[in-house]
Amino acid sequence: MASFVPTSAETLADLRRYTEDRLVEVACLDCLARVRVKKNSDHHTSVQWSAEARSACQELGRRDQGPGGRDVHKPCARLMASIDDAVRAGAVPVGAYDGY
Amino acid sequence: MTDTATPARSLDQGTTPLRFARGWHCLGLASAFADGKPHAVHGFGTKLVVWQGGDGELNVLDGYCRHMGGDLTQGEVKGDHIACPFHDWRWGGDGKCKEIPYARRVPLRARTQRYETVVRNGQLLIWHDPEGSAADHEVLPPELPDVMSDKYTPWSWHTREINGSHCRELIDNVADMAHFYYVHFAFPTSFRNIFDGHTATQFMESKGRPDTMGGGYGDENSTLKSVATYYGPSYMINWLEVDYKGFVTEVVLVNCHIPTGPESFTLQYGISVRKPEGLDEQTCAYIAERYTQSFGDGFLQDVAIWENKVAVQNPLLCEEDGPVYQLRRWYEQFYVDVADIKPEMTDRFEFEVDTTKANEYWHAEVAENLAKRAASEAAAPADA
Repeated sequence: MASFVPTSAETLADLRRYTEDRLVEVACLDCLARVRVKKNSDHHTSVQWSAEARSACQELGRRDQGPGGRDVHKPCARLMASIDDAVRAGAVPVGAYDGY
Repeated sequence: MTDTATPARSLDQGTTPLRFARGWHCLGLASAFADGKPHAVHGFGTKLVVWQGGDGELNVLDGYCRHMGGDLTQGEVKGDHIACPFHDWRWGGDGKCKEIPYARRVPLRARTQRYETVVRNGQLLIWHDPEGSAADHEVLPPELPDVMSDKYTPWSWHTREINGSHCRELIDNVADMAHFYYVHFAFPTSFRNIFDGHTATQFMESKGRPDTMGGGYGDENSTLKSVATYYGPSYMINWLEVDYKGFVTEVVLVNCHIPTGPESFTLQYGISVRKPEGLDEQTCAYIAERYTQSFGDGFLQDVAIWENKVAVQNPLLCEEDGPVYQLRRWYEQFYVDVADIKPEMTDRFEFEVDTTKANEYWHAEVAENLAKRAASEAAAPADA
């Protein structure tokens, strides 16, 4: 047993529920990044990137070149605006199920 | 009416991993080891020996001599090498036996476990990898400009042993919004996580509760802006801006740990404060000590919870909770072979917690507590 990998079927089902369920694809309006988004409420946002999307985002790419520090991990403002647009357009449903 | 349709939820306590995380681990302030004497540090299920050789280099080896198991931490530094107290075998920082004073020659196979070292921000870091890879300098924590200069107070460094908990409990805090209210007595008004590659970050703004006497996060006169990033499995830099009655102080908190056994770890934290302009050294030192005290108290509040809780592999979450599952998925990358790291463990993930409802409920609760307190004070006789 090498790690924490959950083994019980129920725990695996929870893992899937909390990490994968109800993610909706949203494309950035400024670059080729496509991420998966979930909105449990107006103020909540969950954004799942892929390696492909990450490398398409120039904003994050620029920050990777700079020195490390407190600001390098912030979200990309353009993507956030794109997500807000998609929510306004009704492409991302807003609301939670049973705590997820 | 009892609900018979929903089965009782089981608590999956999982299995504790049999290996320790891959990555950089901080052993403490480099200056603490630079006295020409051997030092013992418990870590990774064994004891390590740390010493500074005559050449000024800091070295870290497994603490037990490969000859007959003597305790090198009780030995002596001779030149650049550590000498075993049992038979005086001399070991170099490269892990090789350099000399056996009574022997014709040193066996070619005389090599012990060594750890690559880096001094960063005044702290001694070592690379640990169960697979035995070369140290990855790309994933070192960043250098902190100005810290270690006279613009900041020197590190105030503290160590605490934690028994009965796996260090993942400490990591879980990164995603745990609500515990800041209940355990640390603060309102987290804004809370966001970003996990990306080998880093995991928590952005938080909080304000102390007026109904508790808690220091640290819980001082009602202070608001906090906090950015805390884990660089790998065990080393976190926390940039804090504390606004105390309009007086803003920049604090850098390093929070790191060394796993010592399957269910124990040594927590270390250090605090350095940007010296406010116009204040004398003594006042700066006093401010630094106050912050050290209050954030130290904060850790003790966590420890009290860890020492009594059980491990939970399947946390049950509500809408106001942070992304615990995604955080643990990120953390898992350090416990599998490099070849087994899955994309989802390192793919960027962002999560903004909705703190609006929680704060509404909490403010109502605090108002009620304050009203109760006022009522009981009014009812008590004045001379009591």
